[in-house]
Amino acid sequence: MRGATHARWAAGAVAVALAATGCGGGDSGGSSGGGDSGAVLSSSWGDPQNPLEPANTNEVQGGKVLDMIFRGLKRYNAKTGAAEDMLAEKIETTDSQNFTITVKDGWTFSNGEKVTAKSFVDAWNYGASLKNNQKNAYFFEYIQGYDKVHPSDGSKQTADTLSGLKVVDDRTFTVALTQKFSTFPDTLGYNAYVPLPQSFFTDHKAWLAKPVGNGPYAVDSYTKGSQLSVRKWDGYPGEDKAQNGGVDLKVYTDNNTAYTDLLAGNLDLVDDVPAAQLKNVQADLGDRYINTPAGIIQTLSFPFYDKAWNKPGSEKVREGLSRAIDRDQITDTIFQKTRTPATDWTSPVLGEDGGYKEGLCGDACEYDADAAKKLVKEGGGLPGGQVKITYNADTGSHKQWVDAVCNSINNALDNDQACVGNPVGTFADYRNQITERKMSGPFRAGWQMDYPLIQNFLQPLYYTNASSNDGKWSNADFDKLVNEANAEEDTAKAVQKFQQAEEVVRDNMAAIPLWYQNGSAGYSQRLSNVSLNPFSVPVYDQIKVS
Amino acid sequence: MPEPQPEEPHVSGGQRSAEDGAIASTGLDGTMDLATTEGETLEKGLGNADAGGPADKARSLWSDAWRDLRRNPVFIISALVILFLVVISLWPSLIASGNPLTCDLAKAQQGSQPGHPFGFDGQGCDVYTRTVYGARISISVGVCATLGVALLGSLLGGLAGFFGGISDSFLSRITDVFFAIPVVLGGLVLLSVVTSNSVWPVIGFMVLLGWPQISRIARGSVITAKQNDYVQAARALGASNSRMLLRHITPNAVAPVIVVATIALGTYIALEATLSYLGVGLKPPSVSWGIDISAASPYIRNAPHALLWPSGALAITVLAFIMLGDAVRDALDPKLR
Repeated sequence: MRGATHARWAAGAVAVALAATGCGGGDSGGSSGGGDSGAVLSSSWGDPQNPLEPANTNEVQGGKVLDMIFRGLKRYNAKTGAAEDMLAEKIETTDSQNFTITVKDGWTFSNGEKVTAKSFVDAWNYGASLKNNQKNAYFFEYIQGYDKVHPSDGSKQTADTLSGLKVVDDRTFTVALTQKFSTFPDTLGYNAYVPLPQSFFTDHKAWLAKPVGNGPYAVDSYTKGSQLSVRKWDGYPGEDKAQNGGVDLKVYTDNNTAYTDLLAGNLDLVDDVPAAQLKNVQADLGDRYINTPAGIIQTLSFPFYDKAWNKPGSEKVREGLSRAIDRDQITDTIFQKTRTPATDWTSPVLGEDGGYKEGLCGDACEYDADAAKKLVKEGGGLPGGQVKITYNADTGSHKQWVDAVCNSINNALDNDQACVGNPVGTFADYRNQITERKMSGPFRAGWQMDYPLIQNFLQPLYYTNASSNDGKWSNADFDKLVNEANAEEDTAKAVQKFQQAEEVVRDNMAAIPLWYQNGSAGYSQRLSNVSLNPFSVPVYDQIKVS
Repeated sequence: MPEPQPEEPHVSGGQRSAEDGAIASTGLDGTMDLATTEGETLEKGLGNADAGGPADKARSLWSDAWRDLRRNPVFIISALVILFLVVISLWPSLIASGNPLTCDLAKAQQGSQPGHPFGFDGQGCDVYTRTVYGARISISVGVCATLGVALLGSLLGGLAGFFGGISDSFLSRITDVFFAIPVVLGGLVLLSVVTSNSVWPVIGFMVLLGWPQISRIARGSVITAKQNDYVQAARALGASNSRMLLRHITPNAVAPVIVVATIALGTYIALEATLSYLGVGLKPPSVSWGIDISAASPYIRNAPHALLWPSGALAITVLAFIMLGDAVRDALDPKLR
């Protein structure tokens, strides 16, 4: 495709120029054993939907960058996913509702400003405030005063700051929640909770053009549609210092192009191996191909704001569609068994104690053409006689599986026009269409967890008005069960409640679970120590470049 | 070819060269040569028929051309190929019994086997059936777009050439504007907003961007014809504009349009495939070679057959139409040989 090819050449030219300057800097800095700590690697990427405000980024591509340039109170272990203290010295509570958080000493932003309790409180207040219109505002919902700064009924906000947040001293602040939320500290590793420097508030425009954070990397430059460059921040005070000189994130609108560039030596790292190449990847890359379980589930969501999909009986149509999808065959053939057919709405990486329950979906996720036909008929048939599955065509080999899902539905329903794919060129555009509620039929919804808790697989996606509840599904029983689960202090009991909530999702087929996704990546011979974390994001700071 | 003497073509004239110069400068000199020389030839043939009466009818340009064509193997081959394509696009089930939309994922990427000579693509659809059914869209888009372009272009260009003056200048500038629009870019912009999945938006787009080419040919050819003595004579005898246009000018000016339109037909077919490949032309579940080529290209390493068959069909079709156009041009304009 012409447009894409030109962009690639442009990106290539920029990369050459940057590599030249980047390597020059690294040489003078000296190299350490096992890898040149000054060398820059290039990685495939896609434009984020929004400017990189932490509380406004709820998609994967922007999240990747935030993960490099920010560190929060907690950080999820790159291997186990367990939440570990990062900037938090201690988080104390006696009642699971009022927390006292102490920030570690010695942390600064890359512009030299000290990270204090106020950096967090200001950032959270900004994220929660209605007037800032942040997508992740919902993550602050349980903090006292949220209803004043972000009223849900459309009325004007009556406060600018959350009354539940109080700065005690330079390094201490308190958080008062509206109800018990036992796993609240574990959620604090998510992007929405990172601290922000004063320059974010005083010169917002400049900050957006070149975000300043407190992570091991600092943003060097960003050209939309082409490349974002981050460079190692030498003054980074944390333990997880970058092992390389920086990362050039190159925008690709087709993962096949990225893969070809990797084989041609124009790219160092691809974190999205195209499905069509899965047959060849072992031969192409050998042990430079990694495939590890990740907290990702692919589902089909529905536009519940569209009457046609939200009337009595449509749950039968949705279940019928679910039963018309032959997940086993699609994961075997299209994905060469690098995906596992889903039987619940969470992910195996949670473990059984964490809330993953194999088979929770039951018959509703089993392929059965006759049952599918019957259910769709009982539910009043397909709205408009045809379902259009909308997806973004630039990542994840979505075209291949959407076509396969459609063929499966067509075969099951004995109607070769029952289902068609509806591609949208880029992920950012696709996300915009979703947030503008332009969907008229099922759409692809991949969920990459923010933190490894069952709560994160349910609440942000299905709770009324939640941040990533793209289909605007709303169910009082579900909301009630989630609130009860969050209040539960005993983890096992909380998980049980969440699973009850998940059963409500199942009974309404609020979204069709498709398969659990593994993280897959391929890399060039220049790189070593490449791994993917449980979120399937490459652990960039640990990569060594030779 | 025997040279009929009675009517020597009157080719020169200051106005005429000026027109030619203006047209040649816009980069179409190749086809314009064709148009002007065409005018002469035609005039000879038909002029002769007019003057000589029924006895010389066998000598008309069209019958000469037909006699040439029948002896030209290029024409025979391409005409047979096109005839075959037209037949299978009207009745694809004659040679392909399957349903192009029935795909069985279990057979994905498999090679040829009994009953499925071309194998299966990445989704397990039968490549043979899809290739056969793909002809329909290609042929219908090509034919309809060419008809639309030829009618609109020759109407506008012919009238502008005949009446001249301000309307001519105005039309020439509009043609310039349309010539300046890059076809693929224009397609990406205009067709990406279209949600309908029928062939008509694609055809409409091609007509919109294709008519200026024909319009220029028709204009030049009409200007040539209008200089001729018999047209002047008709005018002197008080013939009306419409009579002159229909009776004397159109028959003498239509040959270059036919030649260019035939060649263009092939390029419209290729353009449809290009637009569908880019995802803005026809969209699934339509069956089009462009869509299949696009879908098969990621699998080129494991299932090249899924890419090669529709590409081959597309190449042969385009080639057949271009060869046909060439043969027709040679027949209508022996001087170019």
